[in-house]
Amino acid sequence: MYVNISDLCFDYPGTKQKTVADFFLHMQEGEVISILGESGSGKSTILRLIAGLEQPCKGTIKVGEKVFCGAGGAFLPVEKRGLGMVFQDYALFPHMTVEANITFGLKRWKRSERKARLEEMLGLISMEEYKRRYPYELSGGQQQRIALARALAPKPSLLLLDEPFSNLDAHLQQRIRDELRETIKKTGTTTIFVTHDQEDARVLADRIVMVKGGTIQQVGKACEVLKETVTKQRVPVEA
Amino acid sequence: MKWRHVFPKTTGWGTVSVFLVTLLILPTIFLMVRVFQPASENWKHIREFMLKDYMVDTLTIAFWTGVFSVAVGTTLAWLVSAYQFPFRKTLKWALLMPLAIPPYIGAYTYHGMLSYTGVIQRTLRDTFQLDLHQKYFDIMHIPGAVFIFTIFLYPYVYAITRAFFASQATSLIENARILGSGSLRTFFKVVLPVSRAAIVAGVSLVVLEVLNDYGVVSYFGIQTFSTAIFQTWFSFGDLDAAIKLAGILMGIVILVLIIEKWLRGRRKFSYSTTKVKPLKPTELYGWKKAVAVGYAGIIFILGFLLPVIQLSYWAVLTFDQIFTKAFVSYIWNSTFTAGVSAVMVVVVAILVANYTRMARGIVPAVTARLTVLGYSIPGAVVAVGVIGFFIFLDEQIKKILAAAGASPALMLSTSIFMLLFAYVIRFMAIGYNSIESGFEKVGMKFTEASRTLGMSWTETFFRVDLKMIRPAIFSGFILVFVDILKELPLTLILRPFNFETLSTMAYRYANDEMIQESALASIFIVMVSGIAMYIFHILIEKEPN
Ligand SMILES: Nc1ncnc2c1ncn2[C@@H]1O[C@H](COP(=O)(O)OP(=O)(O)OP(=O)(O)O)[C@@H](O)[C@H]1O
Ligand SMILES: [Mg+2]
Repeated sequence: MYVNISDLCFDYPGTKQKTVADFFLHMQEGEVISILGESGSGKSTILRLIAGLEQPCKGTIKVGEKVFCGAGGAFLPVEKRGLGMVFQDYALFPHMTVEANITFGLKRWKRSERKARLEEMLGLISMEEYKRRYPYELSGGQQQRIALARALAPKPSLLLLDEPFSNLDAHLQQRIRDELRETIKKTGTTTIFVTHDQEDARVLADRIVMVKGGTIQQVGKACEVLKETVTKQRVPVEA
Repeated sequence: MKWRHVFPKTTGWGTVSVFLVTLLILPTIFLMVRVFQPASENWKHIREFMLKDYMVDTLTIAFWTGVFSVAVGTTLAWLVSAYQFPFRKTLKWALLMPLAIPPYIGAYTYHGMLSYTGVIQRTLRDTFQLDLHQKYFDIMHIPGAVFIFTIFLYPYVYAITRAFFASQATSLIENARILGSGSLRTFFKVVLPVSRAAIVAGVSLVVLEVLNDYGVVSYFGIQTFSTAIFQTWFSFGDLDAAIKLAGILMGIVILVLIIEKWLRGRRKFSYSTTKVKPLKPTELYGWKKAVAVGYAGIIFILGFLLPVIQLSYWAVLTFDQIFTKAFVSYIWNSTFTAGVSAVMVVVVAILVANYTRMARGIVPAVTARLTVLGYSIPGAVVAVGVIGFFIFLDEQIKKILAAAGASPALMLSTSIFMLLFAYVIRFMAIGYNSIESGFEKVGMKFTEASRTLGMSWTETFFRVDLKMIRPAIFSGFILVFVDILKELPLTLILRPFNFETLSTMAYRYANDEMIQESALASIFIVMVSGIAMYIFHILIEKEPN
């Protein structure tokens, strides 16, 4: 397996309950997984653990050949993990142009390669003519696409998306979602994305992980997992 | 508990921060250790005959200044928040301006204005043929000191309470009005109780300033702890007795801080961060309008306009005589020491603040706390701690050098470095609070984004964080710079021989009864702080979110 996460536990300091408990996940290269759950169920925390923004109290995470964290407190710092992450509010650097934002993660690349990669990424999201603009001069949807391009530019081994559509209007949401799926498939990036929207998960994900209270409820293909919850939800209505 | 919860790994940031903060608190630790050593003859004398007077005078002035500052500060804050009257917009910021005049400068100015040859008595004699007894014009006593402190320090209470009214009390007050509560009743039954915490925060700043003061009380010849510490050090050269006095003064400060904490509970206030959701002011008519304008106007005139006009007049009068090469060198000394110290403060503040936000744990939390310790410690106490510490260092260096067969050349305790170090201790909190709130405003998301893109903490700091907090760095620098420019007690005690700044020059001339000659230095200080405050007021008010 390409991504191996097992036995993951975490609690924020000062909280008694475990925020994440016994979380596991195994993914193949190129697979797209959605973590689906209600607000406060620990989805963002799981993503932050994988990214290395929080340190788990137990468990192992391996991606490809790299051990992110494992036995004996081994812990690879965020910047060494080679991941891409798109934040809920994008976190585009306001003091940098689109160009500088996208090439931010390419510091060790050669100049010519960096340039080529920039053009490639801009092409991928069809925003070639925007590279001199600043983030505040872009619409919400455009910002979202730049954030995606920025995360994908360094060719991450794993792409993490936290509620990538929550800041967009409903009609825009659908379009961006289709675009996102196309982009991910085109680049073949292994992806984990977090959402509370079943429709997002159905359209985008190969498999879905349902979480509740920081633990896994169910794992499976979209059609299996969602059908069940749909019928489950309907029970009280019919009764 | 795991080690990483105590002292989390932060690639050097933690080590550097802990080292710097340790350096900053060493003099305080030194002081605390020395306080409990056996006493000298001097100390026995002081304890027997003087201590009670120091205590009574210090506490009397602090208490009454506190009371009057609350009275003036809260009523003015309420007036400009809740009512509409002529000049309200201008008065709203004008009422902050007395803070630009350090109380010691205010004290000289008032004494000069009220003296036999001063403008007030002259006018009474020449225009009204009134020749009153001199005792009516003497302000060099405790009530006079209380007046000076109140009129120049009430803006702390005013600013914090007004910000509180604007940001948090609006709905409560509107509700009280809707329920038909009259204005006086609303003020006493709703406004004062709900803003207790804000008022306490303001008045504790006032009291700490009073305890810090040396200029006013020494000029008025009042015996407080500050003046006593100066005397025992300069007249008797008795460091041990000075340390004992400093210890007691520190005890009073700690008591004030405990009372403050107890009175205001868990709430925190700062007068620079306000989300403005203003109360809708009620229009005033008739005599009420006149009283409102009159009251606010008189306070502004007494606390700012009058002293500034008087100082400017004197400064013009003595300009040719005073504006010499020497004066230019004082400007340079002031600017240089304030500038260098402010840069050091900001650098240390950035390092420590970034450290405490990158790591959760006991060490970062304690580090943050200790960093802001210095501001509550009166200047004279910091000075005694720093002197003691540097003399101790010098002795150690001497010993080591002697053992190595060299003669000691370096004397830390007579160098400018001692003064700069003391400034950094005392004003660290101001810089730190500014930087910290800058970081808080930005949050963690840009930092985290940068790290997921392969940048280490340190690279992220230079490429992202530093750029994002530029406004906070700027304001932190200015605030510290201005405060150091105004500073007196630390500068007087710790300056190298013959090293004169604008504030020490103003003090020296005024003490030699050359008040007019001291005015140029004073007005310079007042102008710089006034301009800085005005800019800040505009920045704060204009800030959209
Ligand atoms: N910094 C923090 N300190 C303490 N507790 C936290 C912190 N951040 C989150 N939590 C708690 O951890 C739990 C999981 O939070 P998390 O943000 O992972 O949920 P989520 O599933 O992403 O929710 P949402 O859909 O609302 O984003 C919540 O109960 C939350 O209150
Ligand atoms: Mg979340």
